[in-house]
Amino acid sequence: MRDAYIVTSIRTPGCKRGKGAFKDTLPEDLLAFILDAAVRQTPGLEKKDVEDIMIGCAFPEAEQGLNIGRICAQIAGFPDSTSGATVNRFCSSGLEAIALSALRIMAGWSDVVIGGGVESMTFVPMGGNMPRPHPVYTREHADLYASMGITAENVARRYDISRQAQDEFACHSQMKAAGAREKGRFTEIVPTPATSYVIQPDGTMKRETFVQDFDDGIRPETTIEALSKLRPVFAANGSVTAGNSSQTTDGAAATVLMSKDKVEELGLEPVARLRLYTTVGVKADEMGVGPRYAIPRLLDMAGLTIDDIGLWEINEAFASQALYCIRELGLEKYMDRINVNGGAIALGHPLGCTGAKLCATLLANMRAKGVKYGVESMCIGGGMGAAALFELCE
Amino acid sequence: MTRRIRQAAVIGAGVMGGGIAALLASAGIKTLLLDIVPPDLEDEEKNDPRARNRIVRAGFDAMRSANPALLMHPSDADLITIGNLEDDFDRLSGCDWIVEVVVENLKVKQELLKKIEPVRKKDAVVSTNTSGIPLKSMSAELGSDFRQHFLGTHFFNPVRYMKLLEIIPGEDTLSEVLDFMADFGERILGKGIVWAKDTPNFVGNRVGVQGIVKAMQLMEKHGLTIAEVDAIFGPAMGRPKTAMFKTADLVGLDVLAHVAANTYDLVPDDEARDDFVLPDFFKRMLEKKLLGKKTKAGFYKTEITPDWKKIRKVIDPVTLEYVEYEKPTFPCLEAARKASGLAERIRTIVYGDDRGARFAWEAVASNLIYAANRIGEIADTIVDIDNAMKWGFNFELGPFETWDAIGVRRSVERMEKEGMAVPEAVKNMLAGGAEQFYKLEGGRRYFYDFASKFYQPVQVSETVVSLSGLKADGKTVQSCPSASLVDLGDGVFCCEFHTKMNALNAEIIDFMAQAVEYVDSNGAGLVIGNQAGGMPGAFSAGADLKFIRKLVDQGRFDEIDAFVRRAQAGVQAARYASFPVVAAPYGLTLGGGCEVCLGADRIVAHAELYMGLVEIGVGLLPAGGGCTNLWKKFIGSLPAAVTGIDLAKFFIPAFMNIAMAKVSMSAADARANGFLGPVDRIVFNRDYLIGEAKKEVLRMVDAGYAPPVKRPIPVFGEAGQGMINAELYNMVQAGFVTEHDAFLARRIAYVLSGGQVRPNTRVDEETILTLERQAFIDFLKEEKTIARIDHMLETGKPLRN
Repeated sequence: MRDAYIVTSIRTPGCKRGKGAFKDTLPEDLLAFILDAAVRQTPGLEKKDVEDIMIGCAFPEAEQGLNIGRICAQIAGFPDSTSGATVNRFCSSGLEAIALSALRIMAGWSDVVIGGGVESMTFVPMGGNMPRPHPVYTREHADLYASMGITAENVARRYDISRQAQDEFACHSQMKAAGAREKGRFTEIVPTPATSYVIQPDGTMKRETFVQDFDDGIRPETTIEALSKLRPVFAANGSVTAGNSSQTTDGAAATVLMSKDKVEELGLEPVARLRLYTTVGVKADEMGVGPRYAIPRLLDMAGLTIDDIGLWEINEAFASQALYCIRELGLEKYMDRINVNGGAIALGHPLGCTGAKLCATLLANMRAKGVKYGVESMCIGGGMGAAALFELCE
Repeated sequence: MTRRIRQAAVIGAGVMGGGIAALLASAGIKTLLLDIVPPDLEDEEKNDPRARNRIVRAGFDAMRSANPALLMHPSDADLITIGNLEDDFDRLSGCDWIVEVVVENLKVKQELLKKIEPVRKKDAVVSTNTSGIPLKSMSAELGSDFRQHFLGTHFFNPVRYMKLLEIIPGEDTLSEVLDFMADFGERILGKGIVWAKDTPNFVGNRVGVQGIVKAMQLMEKHGLTIAEVDAIFGPAMGRPKTAMFKTADLVGLDVLAHVAANTYDLVPDDEARDDFVLPDFFKRMLEKKLLGKKTKAGFYKTEITPDWKKIRKVIDPVTLEYVEYEKPTFPCLEAARKASGLAERIRTIVYGDDRGARFAWEAVASNLIYAANRIGEIADTIVDIDNAMKWGFNFELGPFETWDAIGVRRSVERMEKEGMAVPEAVKNMLAGGAEQFYKLEGGRRYFYDFASKFYQPVQVSETVVSLSGLKADGKTVQSCPSASLVDLGDGVFCCEFHTKMNALNAEIIDFMAQAVEYVDSNGAGLVIGNQAGGMPGAFSAGADLKFIRKLVDQGRFDEIDAFVRRAQAGVQAARYASFPVVAAPYGLTLGGGCEVCLGADRIVAHAELYMGLVEIGVGLLPAGGGCTNLWKKFIGSLPAAVTGIDLAKFFIPAFMNIAMAKVSMSAADARANGFLGPVDRIVFNRDYLIGEAKKEVLRMVDAGYAPPVKRPIPVFGEAGQGMINAELYNMVQAGFVTEHDAFLARRIAYVLSGGQVRPNTRVDEETILTLERQAFIDFLKEEKTIARIDHMLETGKPLRN
């Protein structure tokens, strides 16, 4: 098999659902912009060189429907010959799309593919616009459709993750993110045009554009004490709060992958190779445990141990599940390698975009720190885990 | 000129001002709410509009978050604009009615009115909500045009819930202005109007406070405890549950003291002036700031133990220490328990011969005498005083109605024997052969008029219908122990329930079927309504559970099935009858009571409507067409051109109404929840309800009424069941609902979505009715449902098992 090289990996800022900077920006606009930016940021690459665009999206319907991968290829000005697809594996959709893109190259079927992800949770809410759990199956097995909050409560309760530990973890995530933003460490962010509707003197509204260049969910002022006062939102006497859960967010991300031949033809310096990707199923009602099973499988395949991994991006769907996975994987000694710029509790979890977004963040950090191996992993609604291994190019 | 209130202004955003603004907004009137600019602004705040509106904003916010709610619906607040008396004063020129509710200080009020005079638009009405300051002193310096449009409008707290509105004419007020405001207050704001003269504390507070302070004095004389007084002057005597001292705690001891002192000072010639002198222990409580609920300690105090138990304590007037107490009783109260009806209860108590009875007699007698002596001074008629006490103090009977209840001649004889000074007017009345203050004749109510010494008709609006009056006049056309059919005139009949809490039983179900047949042959239309008393009263609190429980015990499920079938058939027969059927609910309209309304052609509801399908609380579901008809209300007004819609958006809120036993907090809220539809109307005055419902029937007849055509209705089908199953799983996991709740709710979703059909299928109404009935019977076979029913029957409260 050939190697799949990542030459560019970027993202839009992540902005709060419903009230953040992208509340009036269509998901198509976020995605088309980041696809265009990915080509612009890859010297020598022309749009016509891109054979396919694979886009992760957790709720591919309404504005995100009709195969947003193809729609946005067109909106972004790719030629008709560039095809597009939508990829859905819920919370790892973006990573799945990058992995599929890599496989195309590794199999020798393509030379340039863009993998990415998009989710506007403002426009298409969690669960989608028309949720339709199966009427007969749910009579006995409604746990398949368990709300994410309930799964987080289940993990906290079954595996003794205390409220205090969750709040401390959440606060730490916020502090890391605030520090990273202040120090300009989010180099993977591309300032992105955002839409706003502005009232005119005659009372009508007009669509206008401004540029958003930072993640707007970060709360530098938060404290453990403030977090400890929040009420549990998902269960009576629960421990999972809005403060120790990931934020619902709008965003898009894109990664350009190439074969070695194409890298050399364009004279590019690739960032990393996507070495391995794996997924695993777990119980639906505790889907948050996913990384605890996906990561060992990934490391086994790679013949590596946790000690070999210099940086981790483990998606913080909830503090409870992130803490559980970290504890069970024996990663507590490497807390300084995990989510170094903060995680989804501070930066948001735009579902189908997250896999692509974390890839961009991980690669930026690997490059900045010269780390050889980086792992990205997340839990997945419905009961799964995913993990990918990236290796920095020397 | 056509007088109308396009916009009103309320000046003063305190508890009363906020309450008046809330009522106006709830009635759909644009309202400007003003208060002063904070006097203590920092220099940098002096040009900041937010800072300048701080006081009015605080009042507005307090009004919006008041509990119980002052607004009928939170969105009514949109009709209120806030401002301050400096920057926004000129906006008063756009208002048709300006009511001042500022601090009770003559000088402040005089200055404010003087400022309003040049600003107010021509013909605008200005009123004061003062509770005690004479109008003449307020308006003396003002021009005659102003005085012609100036009057007192005295609301009671809380404004939304207290029916009383005292209207106080000034010396120069135009009668046209007075009539307009009385009509506006009665019809638009739903208040009961009492015509008061410009005397200290007007009618309600003058008579009410005499009664309270005198009772306190007598309590000391007779050596009663506070709890003993409250046991007597509570529901046993037709008084509110809060009786005397708990009411005082709610009002605030300082407010009570203020009214008492104000009256004492301003009525030097009052024969019972000393009745306004507060006992020493009361004054000592004031000094110790034991002011009632606002200071969390008054006559009563609730203490909470470390393990969260509530201990209720009452003050000992001698030591001012709070002590635990048992609910006291007296032989007269025990005897009253067996009495039938309020009049007999009161008689039993005041003519008893124990300590409590003697106290009750003296307290009541002194208040009756005091009230009779006030006729001509504070109000012209006994009706005004009775209404003031009923509407402002929630008494079931006013003083003169009470007097009738205990027998005028009998009581006067005892008063004289005990040396009480019986008013001449009352003696004259008896001498003239009139034995009662009120009488019913030809369906009309008459009162004894002290001025003319004759009975005069009690004046009420033409729209006010009295079912008891009509029945006394022989207008009952059909009757059974649980319900009657009353001829309202013009071919309209009223089906009146009269069971306890107007609960629906088999008799009512059968009677309604008969009534429909009767009207079909003999009438133009039907009103379903009643006039049971109480605050808020009950149109119908639901089905008679005892009846159903008994059938379950005997295993007679076939009979239950037949009963439910009859109920459904009755609702359907009314729905598709050849004539219009209008339901007129008010107050508690729960379960079966709500189903009766949902099945009607139209609902004409009182603004205070507590409507809901609460069956799940007793482990059941609405099976009298409630699921079917609520669903029809939700989807009934879609234009035919709208097809293939996502019924989930309709299904979820309709389902939640039933599964969460949602009860509306007002008619406006019921509309927001989908229980009232676009053609249903809201009436603010409960006395107008039957009359307005009758008008609605006649309008529908006049417009060429044709019954609705029965067509299959689209249902959400199995898609809804999947959604609900999944969400219930989350709710159970979260500990928000019990397994039995989920079991019931899953089945309710099944019924409401039409059973095993694909989404957006059209099914016959009878399909859903059948599903309702089957589920109802199945639920009654569940142990936990039976436990819920038994718990409700025993305790009156729902069981969450």
